[in-house]
Amino acid sequence: MRYFWLGGLLVLLASACSTTPVPQAFAPVRLRWARDPETLDPLALPNPSAVDANNLLHLSLLQIDYQRTTYAPALAQALPRAHWLGDSLALLDYELREAAAWDSGQPVLATDVDFTLKLMQCPGLPNENSRAQFGFIREVRIDPANPRRFSLLCRSQGQEILTTSGDFSVLPEASLDPERTLRSFSLAALQDWPAARPPAPAVAALVQRYQQANAARHPNNIPGCGAYCLDDWETNRQLRFRRKKDWWGDKIQPTPFVLQARPRELVYAILPDDAAAALALRRHELDVYPQVPARIFQQLQASPAARQDFVFYTTPSYDVLTVGFNTQRPTLRDKRTRQAISYLLDPAGLMTATQLGQGRRTVGLLRPDNPFYNDSLPLPIYAPARTTALLRQAGWQRGADGQWRQPGGAPLALTMRYRAAETNFATVALQLRAAAAQLGIAITLLPSENSVVTTSLETGDFDLYVRLVKGNPFGVNFMPILHTDAIGTGNLPRFGNADSDRLLAAISTEGNLARKRQLLRRFQVLMREEMPLLPLFFMPYRLAASRRLQHIVAAGIKPGYAAMALSWPASPAPAGQP
Amino acid sequence: MVRWLLARLGRAAVAAWLIASLVFIGSRLVGGGPEQLALGDAADLSSPTGGALTLARQQAAQQAVRHRLGLDLPLFYFSRMAHPPVQWQWHGPANQYHRWAVGLLHGNLGYSYRDGQPVSTLLGRAVAYSLPLTGSAAVLAVGLALGLGLYLAPGPGGLRRLLLGLLAAWQVTPLFLLALGLLLLFANPDFLNVLPGSGQAPEEASSFELASYWLARSALPLLSLVLAVLPELTLPLVALLRHELSAGYATTARAKGLTAAQVLRRHALPNALLPLVTTLTDLLPSLVAGTVVVEVLFGLPGSGRLLAEAAAAHDYPVVVAAVLLSAAARLLGLVLADVLYFLADPRLRPPA
Repeated sequence: MRYFWLGGLLVLLASACSTTPVPQAFAPVRLRWARDPETLDPLALPNPSAVDANNLLHLSLLQIDYQRTTYAPALAQALPRAHWLGDSLALLDYELREAAAWDSGQPVLATDVDFTLKLMQCPGLPNENSRAQFGFIREVRIDPANPRRFSLLCRSQGQEILTTSGDFSVLPEASLDPERTLRSFSLAALQDWPAARPPAPAVAALVQRYQQANAARHPNNIPGCGAYCLDDWETNRQLRFRRKKDWWGDKIQPTPFVLQARPRELVYAILPDDAAAALALRRHELDVYPQVPARIFQQLQASPAARQDFVFYTTPSYDVLTVGFNTQRPTLRDKRTRQAISYLLDPAGLMTATQLGQGRRTVGLLRPDNPFYNDSLPLPIYAPARTTALLRQAGWQRGADGQWRQPGGAPLALTMRYRAAETNFATVALQLRAAAAQLGIAITLLPSENSVVTTSLETGDFDLYVRLVKGNPFGVNFMPILHTDAIGTGNLPRFGNADSDRLLAAISTEGNLARKRQLLRRFQVLMREEMPLLPLFFMPYRLAASRRLQHIVAAGIKPGYAAMALSWPASPAPAGQP
Repeated sequence: MVRWLLARLGRAAVAAWLIASLVFIGSRLVGGGPEQLALGDAADLSSPTGGALTLARQQAAQQAVRHRLGLDLPLFYFSRMAHPPVQWQWHGPANQYHRWAVGLLHGNLGYSYRDGQPVSTLLGRAVAYSLPLTGSAAVLAVGLALGLGLYLAPGPGGLRRLLLGLLAAWQVTPLFLLALGLLLLFANPDFLNVLPGSGQAPEEASSFELASYWLARSALPLLSLVLAVLPELTLPLVALLRHELSAGYATTARAKGLTAAQVLRRHALPNALLPLVTTLTDLLPSLVAGTVVVEVLFGLPGSGRLLAEAAAAHDYPVVVAAVLLSAAARLLGLVLADVLYFLADPRLRPPA
């Protein structure tokens, strides 16, 4: 009797967390995010969660079609038609869908696109990234005869502008600039506005209005034309998005994949810890768990109960684990030395150790299923004997103390930088250090905090690094990471010369597929020979989801699934039955 | 006594200010973080761009970020020229520290770099989650420690020895292991699936259902915190109680006819509690600073997680405000410990 109160308390607790009933057709779909989006300002979007949320609230001219792994028209009626002007400009013709409308019922017009691009150039807003990313669009030419038709004048002839030119959230001019003050400025004038010169009063007033709207925290203050609105946001706990009742996308039949919005509610639970997220999935507090770590994925798959409740997907992503070399360091200036070190890395063993064998090995930065992949090149392998031979060819000699020296030089010793607390990077670094030590090459590991690593890599303060090169399936432009113009920013190996720059520029602009294939095969051979970086393998994306969910589209692009396509069956199946 | 208290509080305020100032200046000397956060990774190909980002364009973008965040101003009232000849330059009030200090004096802790929200709002929201959790954990842990201390003090015995062993084992167990163990034990469909580790409150629930949900939801975090701090409070208390019981006055009390329990509660306990005051007041900063491990593991949006994430993201205004709050709590804890000492033992009071 004296412990009656304890029993009562346990009953109360157990009743409060009783098992979740079988979800109904309109039940919310609950998904896991590892972190809070922090801001929902459509101009900022600093992390993947913010990008996911933004795609629910706003729409772009073109959106990613996860089913076909390509960009597809969303607000735009069709993909743009390109006209190449001279040798450096392009004109892209777009037309907006007739049905596309804001919540007020007003149509989405070319003036909204023009306004959005100008807003990206207004100083004082968190738009520095958008400004750099879309600075290549110089002018929006609106068709006087059709307010939905316009052309974007672009300062680039790269093939990727056909898709990137339409990949920004279009914002409503009527809500943010009802007096249309930005129309008196050209886009080019705003782009070229000197940093030291104060902004025009009209621009300053608009910036102030935008800041007062506080879209970062209250995104509904800037009505989007996306299918969802934010219903509730508990920072670092959960975000709830509710589908709009009268959304314009429903009027388009058949509804294209990028405009499908099936779940009535999407609830994103912020669970930073993977073990806790896996338990939440098992307890049916989550329906979708993307980016599952290898070990947890294996444990879930091994559990008969979990196999009964969930389906599992493994898709190769476009993120490739890479080891980079500082090509400007005296010790690594000779490509044979870089090649020698690359033979000390064991891609097959590392893929087994870090990803349980899942993932995809590669000869270069292109995925093996890419039509431009050079399958004539051999996969990189662990071959210490070749390291020894290549080092000798590069003029290194092994001394009596076991160390390698060039005549009159210091011993071959290298430093390797990577982000701390990243176990995959640490495993690569430790494997290389162990393999190098056996040959008498000392490698000092320098794991550091993210910003320290980035600063060190951008300023060239390293010999080797490990990082993930995040790619995409939409284009093959490697200029941001290998062009000499990008040394000090994205070109971390500080690689390049006039020839390689020409090749990279040609790849980015070539429209003819046969010629592009030739160029890209040459590029992959060049990368293998010069060895500025060694791609080890493409990482897999792993997804676990409730077996009852329908229309699960697992993709190799972040977030790894199409949230708006998910749905529950119309009539619930009996509990426990798949 | 009042004058002494005011002087201590004044000194504590100055010390908290100095600590926050050091963190403010130190954090800004690191550099690079906020710009990287705003601009993202230049070597990221996941969103294709119209060409390579040149160094000049990146520097222009970084400068724009610094200007927007006010980081392009001089850091302090004066600085030394970076290049020879070595000269000191006076900047006057147009510097970052002055702006922060003036804002703070007006009750403005600044704005987060990440979302532009007032830091006071972010901090208030996070503390509102942490304080009830850590506060209840502290109260529960103290109550349990007193109970356990009184039970374990009298001496050897099978159960007592077992409990002491368990407490010693808990003391060396890291909090994350303890919390993860509890999660795997009580919120695991493969074992005991009786308590929620995360999850959402039921929609359209009655107040009773909501209260039940939150009671269940906070059970595991609370248990983790209580178990983590319990050995720290109990083991010294047991040792002190045993020491007091072996003192002459305890023998005299027993000789006068008091039972062992009476001696323990009325005579030994008040004397043994005194050193425990310091341990108790040490818990005060954790009440407001939260506990990162528990908040991350159980998905709670508390102040520990806010501080950890702000530090990782170089969100200096949030970091500085959280440090200021923790420092203030720590210093207040010390003052409180002194006051409690004076109340418990008048001999320690400062001369009037």
